[in-house]
Amino acid sequence: MLLGLDIGGTHTDVVAIGKDGIAASAKVVTNHDDLLASVTGALERVFSAIDVAAVDRINLSTTLSTNAIVERTTEEVGVIVSAGPGVDPQAHAVGNRYYAIAGSIDHRGTEVLPPAEGEIQKAVRHCLKNGVKVFAAVSKFSTRNPAHENRIRDIIQGNADFTTVGHELSGALNFPRRVSTAYFNSAVWRIFNRFADAIESGVVAHGIAPAINILKADGGTMPLAVARRIPVESILSGPAASVMGIVALCDIVEDAVVLDIGGTTTDIAIFADGAPLVEDGIELDERATLVRALKTRSIGIGGDSILAVSGTSVTAGPERRGPSMADGGSAPTLIDAFNVKKLAAYGDTAASEKGVRALAKKSGRSPEDLAGAAIDYAMRAIKEASDAMVRAINEKPVYTVHEVLEGKTIVPKRLYVMGGPARAFSDALAKRFGLPITVPEQYAVANAVGAALTHATMDIELFADTERGVMLIPFLNVNERVSGSYTLEHAKKDAQARLADHLAGLGVKSAECASEIIEAASFNMVGGWSTTGRNIRVKCQVKPGIVKGYRVG
Amino acid sequence: MITAQNKLGLIFFPAFDWAISPTHPEREERLLYTQDQLREEGVFDIAGVTEYKPLVASEEDVARVHFCLPDVASVITESHLISAGGAIKAGELVMDKTEQKAFALVRPPGHHAMKVVHGNRGFCNINIEAVMVERLRERYGPLRVAIVDTDCHHGDGTQDIYWHDPNTLYISIHQDGRTLYPGSGFTFEDGGPNARGRTINIPLPPETSDEGFLYAIERMVLPILTDFKPDLVVNSAGQDNHYSDPITNMNFSAQGYARLSELLNADIAVLEGGYSIQGALPYVNLGIVLAMAGVDYTAVREPTYDAACIEQPRNIMPFIKKVADEVLAAYFNPSGERGMPGNYDVRRKGVFYDTDMIREEQVESIMICDECAGTLKIETSSSANPLSLCVEIPIGACDRCRDEGLRIVHEGKKKKGKDYAHIVLINRRDREYVRT
Repeated sequence: MLLGLDIGGTHTDVVAIGKDGIAASAKVVTNHDDLLASVTGALERVFSAIDVAAVDRINLSTTLSTNAIVERTTEEVGVIVSAGPGVDPQAHAVGNRYYAIAGSIDHRGTEVLPPAEGEIQKAVRHCLKNGVKVFAAVSKFSTRNPAHENRIRDIIQGNADFTTVGHELSGALNFPRRVSTAYFNSAVWRIFNRFADAIESGVVAHGIAPAINILKADGGTMPLAVARRIPVESILSGPAASVMGIVALCDIVEDAVVLDIGGTTTDIAIFADGAPLVEDGIELDERATLVRALKTRSIGIGGDSILAVSGTSVTAGPERRGPSMADGGSAPTLIDAFNVKKLAAYGDTAASEKGVRALAKKSGRSPEDLAGAAIDYAMRAIKEASDAMVRAINEKPVYTVHEVLEGKTIVPKRLYVMGGPARAFSDALAKRFGLPITVPEQYAVANAVGAALTHATMDIELFADTERGVMLIPFLNVNERVSGSYTLEHAKKDAQARLADHLAGLGVKSAECASEIIEAASFNMVGGWSTTGRNIRVKCQVKPGIVKGYRVG
Repeated sequence: MITAQNKLGLIFFPAFDWAISPTHPEREERLLYTQDQLREEGVFDIAGVTEYKPLVASEEDVARVHFCLPDVASVITESHLISAGGAIKAGELVMDKTEQKAFALVRPPGHHAMKVVHGNRGFCNINIEAVMVERLRERYGPLRVAIVDTDCHHGDGTQDIYWHDPNTLYISIHQDGRTLYPGSGFTFEDGGPNARGRTINIPLPPETSDEGFLYAIERMVLPILTDFKPDLVVNSAGQDNHYSDPITNMNFSAQGYARLSELLNADIAVLEGGYSIQGALPYVNLGIVLAMAGVDYTAVREPTYDAACIEQPRNIMPFIKKVADEVLAAYFNPSGERGMPGNYDVRRKGVFYDTDMIREEQVESIMICDECAGTLKIETSSSANPLSLCVEIPIGACDRCRDEGLRIVHEGKKKKGKDYAHIVLINRRDREYVRT
């Protein structure tokens, strides 16, 4: 049996799914001051309804790290960077203990200037004296040569509780993002590990030892052991759980738009050939990171979006002032508009009627006219936001002649809608989009279902330079010598094999971690007029997906 | 988070699947390390810097500018249409005011491609700046344009295309033609009879360093631009003046290039040459991008930079100051005989296409005109194509020049098959681009 638990802003949802479908589910109010209590509370509710011994796996989506960062309750981090020439590293300063030391590595991974050991020691001493216990070591081009980051860590070692080294977070090139990501990782390291300890002992207390995984923003999971080392990967996984829920509940095969409609907002996701699109790095607390995430966009239109009239125009949202009048609220909202237009019959329809009529009277309209205009406004806003997303994806820069001329263009063929107001919105959305629409039956627990059924994801970048004779997979800490005969084919094979080995070592079932090569290029390096070697780059990923054999849709 | 002072659009198109040949300087690897550097520095995350996909230029975009023989499709590949499309995208971003500035980091380059195209010369098939400028004029109306070419090689192609256009000021700063391909670009080359002083050449001696280049910008280029008052300044941003470039002999640095970009304050930059792909391009491009965006670039430095090694020899500044006198005279007091309006001014040219090993002979005749840029007639033959007739009726052509252009084509058609293998007409006044 697989358990999925999603901590949301309002509720914490949990489901237990067996081969025959959903065995149990529960919803508890999220206690933001004690997330652990919310988790254990929700788990207890489900545990009491099922055979605990049958639980193989628990997947958790938690807002713990995100909240700590946004609410600035994280721990102080000593950030030590070696940047060398280029953009001034002070432009990327983060936290109160940021030290840019001398040292530089170029784009090929060649050391230009060794790291200034004296400066590192001084920075570390200064941090320790001020009670700093966790560090982040980041150098420019560390994914081409991790020597400086490793040296900084070696100097810190023994004096700190934890040090994040940039290249172990991602193989991507982006020094400012590496700095932010490493900083956030160390900043939430302790709080996350305490949470992990508590979860583990809570589960052990039931006499069971299921695999425990943490949800990531890219829609996949990571084993708890990995999350303890890179807790930053647990940020902003909320929208991902819902999107994976739709994947579990519906059989999506074409280009599609997925909408998760809540009380205040609608989250939009775009699918290409049935797979959710991932973006390379999400922003958190106004800083760009290297944490990959499902491409989602949130707009301020939801069931409880308040209706407003100004002059001749009628709008809805982004403001929310409590529930709809149908739910006992005091001002008419979109749900009330749907009730008035008889597109829904939710809650107290008479209250909706009364509220919309009062607002309509003030502006000299009929209630139907006002409700229609408000719905129109909301549908247009959702359609425009979704079109803008598709346009941006289709306009994404590409770097080969082939891709410019033959590149895939996304054209959504179907709309998938979930969330509380999904049914009420569906006809109006289908009309506005001009697309067939699917509203899955169990959309209310889609997020927890998504959490339960999604599997591990991982992405790695392999870089090889046969002139220098090196092959690196920074994320897996692989740094090996290769000969001049190393080719793109070797690199592709190595990338997939190393990724599979690594996942197997973490206990991920091989059926759940089929990897694919998403980018592969080999460039002849020429010195003078003859070839001196090959510069090889391979990106390989296990993309987000749903465990087979448990489909509940 | 860094914020740009100028909203900057970047069109980065490295054509990772296109090369002239596997070990040619113009190969797949050329912008690889530049992309690495820009990504690692987080340039695409700077608030106000946006990356765009290039457009694909149409064959008509090419046919509006060039006389391609035997036809457009025969002398280009798709990569050329994308490279030109990248430049066009940059131009449209600025003209539409979507961005304040734009930089097309594209390849292959274009500034050696002349008015007539029989093949590839100096790594160029079509002139991507000219294709861009003429599309902008077609779409947005008349524009006074200044093209400042800071590639180390004389931009003989751009010079040839705008030789007769009084509304386009072409300034080329380059290594002295006596010491480098293509061997032209002297101060006395200053434009045709209808556009005297609209072509300006600034030849600099080998081993010119930051001091000499910045002097040329401050004392020659900027005063001329101030006087010309262009609607649009385009920088043909070649990067082979760098001290590490393998096929040139100059001593310019990444800091120098960044400062040059800041001083020039171009609306649009388009990458041209530059073949020190590891030691120069990543740093020069970073410097240019930061300077255009108005972000501090002072810490950009090549790993191999050594100020003492690239210090300018003492005898260089006096030489450059002498060039300055000639340059300022060429622009402010253009001399030279100009024939009577209504008559043709004729010159003969031999053109060599080094990449494709084609020899071309041309007789070029321009109608001397006080009313417009004058109708242009070129009779051309080469080792690739038999004698052909090319006629251009310029934008805003006067009635006489338009009628004259149409008459030449009409007469030519009578002789087609006997005298002319191909007849190509660029009629900018009526927007017709015809080939027979």
